[in-house]
Amino acid sequence: MARSFRLYEKKRGNRWTGSKRFGSLGEGLFFAVFFLLGCVGLVFILATQVIPEWRVNHAFVESQCTVLQTRGGEAQIEYSVSGKPHLAWTRTASASDSGGPDQQEGPGRFAEGGRYPCWYDPVDPDVAVLARGYTWWLWLTLSVPISFLLIGGGGLIYTVLSLGKSAERRAARVTRSASRDLSEKTATTRSPFPHVPPADQITDSPGTELAYRLPMAGSPAWTLGLWLAACLPWNGLVSLFAVVAVNSVWEGHPDWIMILFLIPFLAIGIGLIVVFVRQLVLATAIGPTLLEISDQPLYPGGKCDVYLSQTGLLRMNWLEVLLVCDEEATYRHGTNTRTESHRVFQQSVFRRDQLEVQHGMPLAARFAAEVPCGAMHSFKAEHNEVNWKFIVRGEVAGWPNFERSFPVIVCPNGHGISKS
Amino acid sequence: MKEPLVRIRLDGNGRVYHPGETFSGEYRMEGIALEEIKAVEVSVLWHTEGKGDEDLAVHDFHRLSVENGDQIDPRRPGRFSTVLPNSPLSYRGVLIKIRWCVRVRVFLTRGREVLGEVPFRLGEVLPPRSATFWARARRSEEGVSSNEGSQAAGPERPASPGNGHPPGDDRPLPAAEATVP
Repeated sequence: MARSFRLYEKKRGNRWTGSKRFGSLGEGLFFAVFFLLGCVGLVFILATQVIPEWRVNHAFVESQCTVLQTRGGEAQIEYSVSGKPHLAWTRTASASDSGGPDQQEGPGRFAEGGRYPCWYDPVDPDVAVLARGYTWWLWLTLSVPISFLLIGGGGLIYTVLSLGKSAERRAARVTRSASRDLSEKTATTRSPFPHVPPADQITDSPGTELAYRLPMAGSPAWTLGLWLAACLPWNGLVSLFAVVAVNSVWEGHPDWIMILFLIPFLAIGIGLIVVFVRQLVLATAIGPTLLEISDQPLYPGGKCDVYLSQTGLLRMNWLEVLLVCDEEATYRHGTNTRTESHRVFQQSVFRRDQLEVQHGMPLAARFAAEVPCGAMHSFKAEHNEVNWKFIVRGEVAGWPNFERSFPVIVCPNGHGISKS
Repeated sequence: MKEPLVRIRLDGNGRVYHPGETFSGEYRMEGIALEEIKAVEVSVLWHTEGKGDEDLAVHDFHRLSVENGDQIDPRRPGRFSTVLPNSPLSYRGVLIKIRWCVRVRVFLTRGREVLGEVPFRLGEVLPPRSATFWARARRSEEGVSSNEGSQAAGPERPASPGNGHPPGDDRPLPAAEATVP
């Protein structure tokens, strides 16, 4: 069906319909406004700050002046240009704090009645300065309009290039540029499976019992670091107020409003400390989990050997290894970006109940795992992913469950796999 | 006047295609006059559907444009042919669906477009919610346990996202060559 012009968009199933032209126009206007703001800001800063400062340092003519009076950071000076006297109010220091070769800082440097070098504008001799130099922060302010210019300009170029082009044509251009990048790689490093994540990161670490040692996703050190990053500033700030509150009690004039206000904040701070200490004990007491695998990548219907080593000083209620497949979808909801995950496959490949692990004597287990025939392969696109992984989880007596994740790659094994 | 339309016919109509196989077919434009056509784009592509934002990648793309001097005759069928890639395979998951299709987009005068699209399946991935998939999963689990000479816990159908609760103690032990010093 020929498509007519639609101003407003409407959702049909999973697709949005509407006027692409109107969308492109809105997008173009958005970036044009950014670009214009950048232009105006840049011109304003150049005209009012950068160029005048440059002229002071390069175009102004040196002369001698007499300071008639000083007021705050300003001084009234008298100087002559071609024998004609001029009066001007000027600042006693340049805008620069760092100072230039001609500049000496200090409000008391210019005494009334003293004679000092000055620089006047040859175009307008009524304008003169007592100090010269460059302002370092001026270059930082330039970054604001320049970033607006870059975002607006880049967006405008993208909008113009995309104008009248179908989604397929744009995607084909992306694919072609990606292929060009890939063609620079050697044939051995090029993956024959588009949109399947490469297994390089998994196969670069050899195992001691089996071919590959799997890297762990989300190291406990990161979790610990995050809790510490939350714990320290929170408790630091709360303790400052706590000291003030305790002092007020000590001096016999308790500030009850402040004390009552502080109680929930103190409770949160104590909670953060408890969680952090708990995580720390979990990370140190449970010890590293090593998982090794005989093959990588895996294929649907293919079997592999898995070796598990768990160190630490533990009495565990149970320890289990799962082979799982998770779908992950990222979507925009208003201005937020959210990721939703759903486990579509979960299989227990190893389990032990009531076990004890001692220092220097890790739990070691070797078992087999199989990706079911007909299962989906690993997949990674910008907004959607299918991830396979082994999960080692267990319950340590007196502690909450722990879980460690080890990603693996599953490649498709259909008929007629092309090696190109 | 007849409504403008693009008809697409695949060689080997309706069957499942496999990676590395040649995928071909033809398209016909109906109700479109020669002087109306500005360009024709033929794409073999996959796109995602479901909870996440759409991902789209074009495997094969051809554009015929009157501006570039290409001959476009709506009375004669156009052909397309490409070798299918190894991945991604068609998939009907819970949050994510990957759909392959051939899409023919005809650009007409006055900014109008006519779109024809025919989906097809690449590969034979089973939907994770299908009974066949779980039957195969159980079979593969039995294969693993028999190889190791011990029992293994069967595959679990995850009830909810991130279901992290361990199974009860009455489950059979899958221990295979497990040693605790």
